[in-house]
Amino acid sequence: MSTGIKNLVRTLDSVDFLKMDRRTFMKALGAMGAATFLGTYKSDIVSALDFAETKLVWLHGSECTGCSESVLNAGNPDLVQALQKLNVNLVFHETICAQQGIWNDGKLVNNAELNSEVLLEDTYKQGGYILVVEGSIPNGPDGSGRYLVIGNKTFKESLAEAAKNAVAIVAVGACAAYGGITSADSEVAKDTDYRGVAFAKEDPTKGMLKELGIDKPVINIPGCPAHPDWVLLTLGAVILGKIKIPNDLDTLLDNYGRPKVFYPPDHTVHDNCPRRGYYDRGELDEEVGGPGCLWKLGCKAPYAHADCGIRRWNGSVSMCTQAGGPCIACVEPNFPDGSRPLYVEAEDKGVLLGANIDTVSKVAVGAAAVAAGVHAVRRMGKGE
Amino acid sequence: MKSKNNPSLVVERYTITDRIAHTVHAVAMLVLIITGLKIYTGWDFMSFHSARGLHMIAVPFLLAVNWILIPYNIFSEGHGIFGKISHFTDHYIFGPKDATRLGGIIKNFFRKGRYPAYSIYDEEKGHYETKLHPLMKILIVLEGTAIFLIAVSGIVLYKLDWSLFGLPIASWILSAGDIIAPIFGMGSLQFLRALHLLLTYWFVFELVVHVGILEFDPHVWKYYKAIFWSGKEDLSDTHYSEFVEKYSRFDAKEHKH
Repeated sequence: MSTGIKNLVRTLDSVDFLKMDRRTFMKALGAMGAATFLGTYKSDIVSALDFAETKLVWLHGSECTGCSESVLNAGNPDLVQALQKLNVNLVFHETICAQQGIWNDGKLVNNAELNSEVLLEDTYKQGGYILVVEGSIPNGPDGSGRYLVIGNKTFKESLAEAAKNAVAIVAVGACAAYGGITSADSEVAKDTDYRGVAFAKEDPTKGMLKELGIDKPVINIPGCPAHPDWVLLTLGAVILGKIKIPNDLDTLLDNYGRPKVFYPPDHTVHDNCPRRGYYDRGELDEEVGGPGCLWKLGCKAPYAHADCGIRRWNGSVSMCTQAGGPCIACVEPNFPDGSRPLYVEAEDKGVLLGANIDTVSKVAVGAAAVAAGVHAVRRMGKGE
Repeated sequence: MKSKNNPSLVVERYTITDRIAHTVHAVAMLVLIITGLKIYTGWDFMSFHSARGLHMIAVPFLLAVNWILIPYNIFSEGHGIFGKISHFTDHYIFGPKDATRLGGIIKNFFRKGRYPAYSIYDEEKGHYETKLHPLMKILIVLEGTAIFLIAVSGIVLYKLDWSLFGLPIASWILSAGDIIAPIFGMGSLQFLRALHLLLTYWFVFELVVHVGILEFDPHVWKYYKAIFWSGKEDLSDTHYSEFVEKYSRFDAKEHKH
């Protein structure tokens, strides 16, 4: 072995092979020659085969990046620790990765090392990656998807391309899962026609993948934003093979594609709310800032399936209701329409000509009481 | 018409099981309405746990009465399958004759005509032809439906994963809610809670109509006594009742000839 090669081996010895990205690995292989490389790193390769690098592609649709921010706020493990421990190669993430796409006259220029869009397309071709989608996908106008175009390509097309060869698809946040805020009822909602990856609000037949004719299972991690633990633990479980796709999904996910462990079908946020004791004692706040239960202030915790009350947020120290904010049920597929008005009790929503159940019922009961009185007077007066 | 003192005019209007069913139903319903509204509104006259406890104790009573005792009472009358079915339809289902009677009741309210009898006993057959106020026949069907729906929605509020003999009943209910709820812009659980509340108000409304409009009349008090205590009706009191004598139809036919 020449001195040069010996030096390179020595240098590479201090490098954690498991943390090499694909390009470094290929460079090392080229420099040393495959046989030498394999001989030197045999044991590492064996263990690497046991726990191979996983590529992760994180795409952003129509969204606020709040879910990425939430994941960046993760602690124990934080995002970097998680990526390292799980041997994840984060191939593409629009706001975390430094490289960006470069186009010249509408065409991608340079190579995968300098242009992340080229790298992305290479990755699509190679396949075998986990696709994370953050944000919804506009189908409008008229099914063209042109309300979101990046590099002269609609996001709808990008999703189709990315989804095709992905080994697993995870929709992170309310928007990617069900359409979220972007699909809220409005005058332009029909034109924009925002969809989630596998659902459009509660409807699984109108998810964007169905629209694209792609039949692949999707794990939904809704929330506005999604809790970092929900995202990282789900990704971890998929990477470590704890979740076998698609075989395990039927038992692991609920009807809306959410992992039951984080979005328990048999519990609501209300059940484990730190203010629950006040509800039990009938101390229901009617003004913000009080210590009591927030139900009358429009808290939707009784309708929200999530483990916020147990897991808590911000390093497990607080959560919306604990901080005095009524729950807005951001994990539910009909969010935000189902939760609106956010700070009005759900039962106070208008059901008949704008009147709520309480009002309609009180009028009906009052009218019946008046009618009963008139009837009684009439019957007694008759003396029959 | 026979004399007022004739004991043959006193007939059994409600059997002992009818009376038990009605009383248990009334008490259970009142407990459920009061404790349910306490849970909903946060009234502080009792603790949440007491209200919930009482609510859950009253549920099996209400359901046992409605789904076991009342069907037993209904179908223990009448001979043969067809006899039982016609007894059920004659006594509890609003039919054309009831519509005529209701029309007469409305006319009477506006001072036209006599208040029609709705409690009609046939001496020859030895039982009532019909005995409920026509409005009650409408209410009773709506009440049965409302009890079914409030029980179904209540299962989910009680326990989101309630199952019976391994059957995931609550999950089925939530899935059914998933189909209907989006129509109202709600999630399944939200819809079922709203339905539960709406039906609670329905029972309050029904109570007002039942006790107020139907019974808030001194001439009807005889039925209070009958349903809660004696079970008897003296048909010599002709307010709202009619006694079809044994040979009256035969006599009428003869008379025609």
